[in-house]
Amino acid sequence: MRGPSSRHPDEPREQLPPVEGFISDADDLAPGIRVVYPNQGVCSVEGIEEKDIAGQKLQLVRMRREEDGAVVLVPRAKVPTVGLRRVATGDQIQGVFHYLAAQSDDPELDWKVRHRDNADRLVGGGVLGLAEVVKGLHSLSRLRPLPNKEREQYDNARHLLVHEVAVALGTAPGVAEDYIDYVLVPPTGVKFDVPPPPAPVMLPSRPRRHRPVAEEDEGDLADLGLSDLGLDLELDGAVPAAGEAAEGGGGEAAGGRGAAPAEEGGGPAAPAGEGVAADEPPPKPRTAPARGPREKPARKAAAKPARKPPAAAPKKAGKPAREKPARKAAAKVSPKRGGKKK
Amino acid sequence: MIRIALLEELDPSDLTFLTRSLYRAFGLGTEVAGLRPSPPHPERRDGRLDAVALLRTSAPVRAFADDKILYLTTAPLSLPPGPLGEPPCWGFAEHGKDRALVSTARLPARGLSEASVEAFQRRLAREAIHVIGHLWDLHHCVDARCPMHPSWSPHLPASPEMDLCAFCREKSERKIRLAKT
Repeated sequence: MRGPSSRHPDEPREQLPPVEGFISDADDLAPGIRVVYPNQGVCSVEGIEEKDIAGQKLQLVRMRREEDGAVVLVPRAKVPTVGLRRVATGDQIQGVFHYLAAQSDDPELDWKVRHRDNADRLVGGGVLGLAEVVKGLHSLSRLRPLPNKEREQYDNARHLLVHEVAVALGTAPGVAEDYIDYVLVPPTGVKFDVPPPPAPVMLPSRPRRHRPVAEEDEGDLADLGLSDLGLDLELDGAVPAAGEAAEGGGGEAAGGRGAAPAEEGGGPAAPAGEGVAADEPPPKPRTAPARGPREKPARKAAAKPARKPPAAAPKKAGKPAREKPARKAAAKVSPKRGGKKK
Repeated sequence: MIRIALLEELDPSDLTFLTRSLYRAFGLGTEVAGLRPSPPHPERRDGRLDAVALLRTSAPVRAFADDKILYLTTAPLSLPPGPLGEPPCWGFAEHGKDRALVSTARLPARGLSEASVEAFQRRLAREAIHVIGHLWDLHHCVDARCPMHPSWSPHLPASPEMDLCAFCREKSERKIRLAKT
């Protein structure tokens, strides 16, 4: 089964293991059988019909959504990619209830990751994926009110889960919903002793390097001063590295900065890379501005632009990073000019 | 229009309070359709009536398209046991259809004092709004103050509110607007 569509055209689609009951061949769709169309619900197959669309003769699988009778037409060739699957079996439904009754993990707090993962689960996660979305958002709603978008996602997931459970158990949807909520929100004094739940749905791994929004976030984080924290962390690593370079680095330096010492291990590689930084005057720690008045103005001016631009540059793209020090310099100079004019 | 059919007699003041609450919750006219005979041989489980079977076999009420019919009974109800047990039953509704059932058996005792009568009426109205909400395709809500929250929830406030939360109200209004009539 193919995973959800990749966010970027240069990334290949990740091949995920198919969910149980996945339908990969249109020949499996005999008239009368019930299938689950992702994000649509339980449909019954009515047959295959041929239609002339844009000059092409297409074979379409005709399905009818059981909930409201809406007709769904899927090109025969696209059946393996749309994620059709059979209605959950009794064992799967048992697994769903065991999952719902199990102790819930801490919900994902990053809403972007959460929303994306939940969308993936709804499309390709099977009935257990629906249960994961419902349970995850339900447990999150205990911590704080859900935003409107996620409230809708929760409602959609619940709707799909209720109808699939109802079809699988052969009960009315109202009864199926009571079963689900009896497990999710047990009455006072009721505890379930259930076996361990099934393994969670596998989700496609997402590279983080292509996220422009995340870069903006990094800019905001830098504004908060967290970039300074990273700088401090680097410094912590550089201090022993400089020490190592002073102790035994002479031999390596004599041998040149070849690739061989770097490949021997992470330890020697770090001094080689950071030795240059160690030669430079170390950046001032965060408390440096407080001690500014005691230092010479020239050193202060040199230290300030080195720290500020990375924080200011990502926030406002229109303003170049160098403007700030220039303005500051102008602001410092202007009183002198004014003084001269006087 | 919401039509209330009685399977047993109820106090008129309770019915007045109920019709007002339903009108306020859904903005739909509500009227009492009178007493209807109970099914002659209802299915029983442990002395309780099977809610699904009772609703299926209840006497019909004359109604127009998109009318919702609410049956009221005083008999205790039960649901078929599920994979992990039988959930407690205050009522039952056919999701997205037109018939629902509420029992007063699990409600707080009506009593004689003004406070106990009010508590009874409020809880009855809350359960009626809950099942009628299911008829408008509303699911159980995560907000404990909303009438669509599960009736057995330990988070339910002692004096439950009768106003739908913003999400459920919006969804029900959308469904009502899209109704045929």
